[in-house]
Amino acid sequence: MQKKQLNWRLVQYELRNIVGNIFVIFFGVFFPIMMSALFSIVIKNQVPEEQYSGAITSIFITMILIVPMAVLLIGYAANYSQELEKDIPLRLNLFGFRERTMLFAKMIAYLIFTTGAFLLYTIFDIIMLDIQVPKLSSALCLIASLYALSVILFILAHGIATIFRKFGPTYAVSMLLYFGFMILCGMMGVSVDQLPKALKAIAKLLPMSYMSGDFAGFWQGGKYNFAPFLQSMLFFGAVSLIILILSIRKNQRVIK
Amino acid sequence: MIRINNVQVKYGNQLALSINEPIIMEDGDRIGIIGSNGAGKSTLVKTILGLTNYQGSIVTDLKPEEIAVHMQHNHYANTMAVKHIMETILNTSIKKNKMLQELITFFDFEECLKKKYSSLSGGQKQRLTIILVLIQDSPFVFFDEVTSGLDFETRQRLMTKLGEWYLDKNTTLCVVSHYYEELEQLVNKILILEAGQVVDFGNKDELFRNYCGKTVITIENNEKNKELTKSLLKLKAPAHLIALSCQNSDLEKEITGLLIKEDINFKRSNNDIEIMSINAKAHFHENKAGGKNHAEKTA
Repeated sequence: MQKKQLNWRLVQYELRNIVGNIFVIFFGVFFPIMMSALFSIVIKNQVPEEQYSGAITSIFITMILIVPMAVLLIGYAANYSQELEKDIPLRLNLFGFRERTMLFAKMIAYLIFTTGAFLLYTIFDIIMLDIQVPKLSSALCLIASLYALSVILFILAHGIATIFRKFGPTYAVSMLLYFGFMILCGMMGVSVDQLPKALKAIAKLLPMSYMSGDFAGFWQGGKYNFAPFLQSMLFFGAVSLIILILSIRKNQRVIK
Repeated sequence: MIRINNVQVKYGNQLALSINEPIIMEDGDRIGIIGSNGAGKSTLVKTILGLTNYQGSIVTDLKPEEIAVHMQHNHYANTMAVKHIMETILNTSIKKNKMLQELITFFDFEECLKKKYSSLSGGQKQRLTIILVLIQDSPFVFFDEVTSGLDFETRQRLMTKLGEWYLDKNTTLCVVSHYYEELEQLVNKILILEAGQVVDFGNKDELFRNYCGKTVITIENNEKNKELTKSLLKLKAPAHLIALSCQNSDLEKEITGLLIKEDINFKRSNNDIEIMSINAKAHFHENKAGGKNHAEKTA
């Protein structure tokens, strides 16, 4: 038996694992489309006609954040914690797959799936809603931010699942974070600026707050100070990475 | 191949495994690991695999990936057909891999390939992991309760197939089992564990001679047989049996002659692992109690 390297077959296996979970499909793919359609109807009578297109664009940018949060933070954490509960990663490890190899295969598979979900969401929203045409640099900025956020959420979800190793507490924590992030980052109808001072300070540490609140502002051009957003991305990434490292060290296989 | 020395494993404050004398597992050994529930059998397997935090040393020239293992509980993803799981783990295509096809046929597994893992029966689940373990062709293989939960016929067929597969191979096998008759077919060494401690380890035949003599004759435990055998050397045995120790052929002939004359059914064995292990454990406990009494007296 040889150490198994990262290969396409392993990525395909992980893709089948994702597609086999109906909750990921519903909450990661259909739910954001439904939410953006719903919010577009709700705001129709609340926003002046000349601002409607801008508001729709803002909804599009805000609701697309649900995709990585549902697929990675909830979906992946739930899937992986169930695997851990049944010792499936250990079983694969004993067949020669290194933890690192399995982790990369999962990450690639989830990024492929998330890409599909982003594309589907964008296509549906373009067809259904009157979204403003973005400046290329703004669109690229959103895409890059979404992938960076996806990777960070993947790391965070993996860390949480590995620490608890059980579906129940992992699901509870990831759901708590999911709704916490949605409330703090303006996805539940309350903008970051409307939050109490303490919550606002926490929200400013999360990159999703800047994406949902600010990105629509330079969608068709204009200046934007990226420093606070990048700092929040680095902070969120660093915290997630620390959780991942701690979880791996806690569960390391040792041959003395 | 593997040398275990002064190894201790604790779960909280409880000592789960304590190995004081060195245990050496050599190339080509076929080792049966036996003991009651909680004896430390699975803990030993996990410790050798590096899955427990242990004190002491386990020295081996094997890399972790050179040890294949059928764990007591093996689970796989339920989100896809078993075929995809096999192809992923082995990084091969069943269509293109002749050896894998042979193994699938050997274990009558063709009809399971399109099913999900949760749809497989207990025996089919066991066979899946066995196929995945066997095809690795590793120099060292653990089978931890590979037949537990299976009916008698399936157990027999599985063990026969395992025996056939390893017949001409120099693989070191460690087989954890509660079914002694399976071990009698497959192993040449026995490691007996009791409450986390090593009762004895060695060649199966030597252990049998040490604890049982040349042969053992077992008969039904009833008043008539008790009376008939009251002058003979008896061994510890399960409650429903009387086990008679035969130290040489003459005594064996004498006892069997007597039993035939009295028309009593008997079973003769020169490798009964169950009787051997019962007596090894009894001997172990007597020694422990003796040592304790001696220590108390000295104190």
